[in-house]
Amino acid sequence: MSEVNNALSPHGGILVDRVMEPAEGRKKAAEAKAKLPIGSSMATEIMSIAYGFFSPLEGFMGSKDVKSVCREMRLQSGYIWSIPIVFDISDDEIKEKGIKEGDTLLFTHQEQPFAVLEIDEIFSFDKTTMADKVYCTTEDKHPGVKRTYACKDTFLGGKITLVNPPRVNPPFDKYWYPPKVLRQKIAELGWKRVVAHQTRNVPHTGHEWLMKGAWFESNADAVLVSCVVGEKRTGDYIDEAIVLTHDALGKNGYFKEGTHLTSILLWDMRYAGPREAIFHAIVRKNLGCTHHMFGRDHAGVGSYYSPYAAHEIFEQVPDLGIGSVLTLEWWYCPVCGEVTYSGLCGHDKERQAFSGTVIRSIIQDGVKPPRLIFRPEVFDLVMESGDRYGFGSPFVTEEYLARRNPVITVPPMEV
Amino acid sequence: MAETYPINIWINEERLEKLQQAGLADMAEEAFAGLKKLSVPANEQQRDSILQMFPMAKFDSATTKSIELLPREIKDKIFTLVVEKQTLDVLDVFLASA
Repeated sequence: MSEVNNALSPHGGILVDRVMEPAEGRKKAAEAKAKLPIGSSMATEIMSIAYGFFSPLEGFMGSKDVKSVCREMRLQSGYIWSIPIVFDISDDEIKEKGIKEGDTLLFTHQEQPFAVLEIDEIFSFDKTTMADKVYCTTEDKHPGVKRTYACKDTFLGGKITLVNPPRVNPPFDKYWYPPKVLRQKIAELGWKRVVAHQTRNVPHTGHEWLMKGAWFESNADAVLVSCVVGEKRTGDYIDEAIVLTHDALGKNGYFKEGTHLTSILLWDMRYAGPREAIFHAIVRKNLGCTHHMFGRDHAGVGSYYSPYAAHEIFEQVPDLGIGSVLTLEWWYCPVCGEVTYSGLCGHDKERQAFSGTVIRSIIQDGVKPPRLIFRPEVFDLVMESGDRYGFGSPFVTEEYLARRNPVITVPPMEV
Repeated sequence: MAETYPINIWINEERLEKLQQAGLADMAEEAFAGLKKLSVPANEQQRDSILQMFPMAKFDSATTKSIELLPREIKDKIFTLVVEKQTLDVLDVFLASA
């Protein structure tokens, strides 16, 4: 494996851009041998590749990259990469479409042409090995493992091109910053140091202080809130509430103007703990961030990873060109009378820890959390978002899953 | 002493009124500078039974070690048992009747 400079920003040194203007895209789509409809998860993953969030990936991985990522946490090229990005397909679909290596395949989404895959390789890969290497478990209770096992038995590797760029729908459109656009905005704002905050939660003050602590520690100009918008489970906060409430922290002065920006990342969480932390670092580096904050149990689930596994893994990889801000917990201390840092507060016995789950539990019980742990503007917006986007609930319900407004809309395209 | 995993029942106005009427207001603990809660203890076996019976509930293993996100109507049933029995030790009765 070749020696490469993993500190290059963007990752690999070049920001991938595989988005075509519709006029050109139409021609490319027309050349495809077969059509295959894809769901929203795959569609947004293709967008993330095409717009360069996943640089240096230019498409779906082939078998050598998958093997190398699983075993060595590196691409064949030598660049660090921690999560396989794969396109799965059934043998029946391959037979039905007559697909073979060297063909181009047109993916359709919402019944419109969407993207083209140039098939370099058709391969199989042992899913148990993939799960074991990436998630350190083969238990299908783990959502990432479950997702891996749900893959069809064959994979297609090759470069993709987005031939019909979709529209990002309100309220997400204001927060959609592809890496090229965000890098330009960061330059225009004169930000030299930007620390990323990964989130899939409505912010409580513990999150707020994590961000503020990371801002201090990295001597940053600004915090980039990167909200993961993707696959949801019932009981989660709805995506709209998450994005709008983070923005509200800036709008209501909890972050001074010019120190805070909310954005979205289209990604289905894998809950891969330390490996997902590496992935998050690379993606936020591609966005133009200089630092990334990692708290307790970053991207973890259940008790599969030790609480600070995501901190420890950065000692095992070369410099990724993005500083890791590793933080402990913030909790409420009744003696201090404030939300305070566990690394400084000496009242361990009196501490009152809180989490997004606890706040959700309080709200579900019909109680308004106090402003010390949950900003009133955030609470009001959570409830408003529930009415406006969540069919009366700020939490994901079956109805929301079935009837929510799509995050993206693919415009009509004649091929 | 075996570890316990509490179910936090957050006290809204309706629940507070019922606690006060039953003379049990002191049973509620202060939390987060302004909230009150009942912490109904569950042992490991009870915790696992509850999580199995109510898949939407979540054991917050990372931060608080408490059982959260039980539906409000289920918490109301547990709360009613606490008031009737005048004790927090009600989970065996609850599980037997659920």
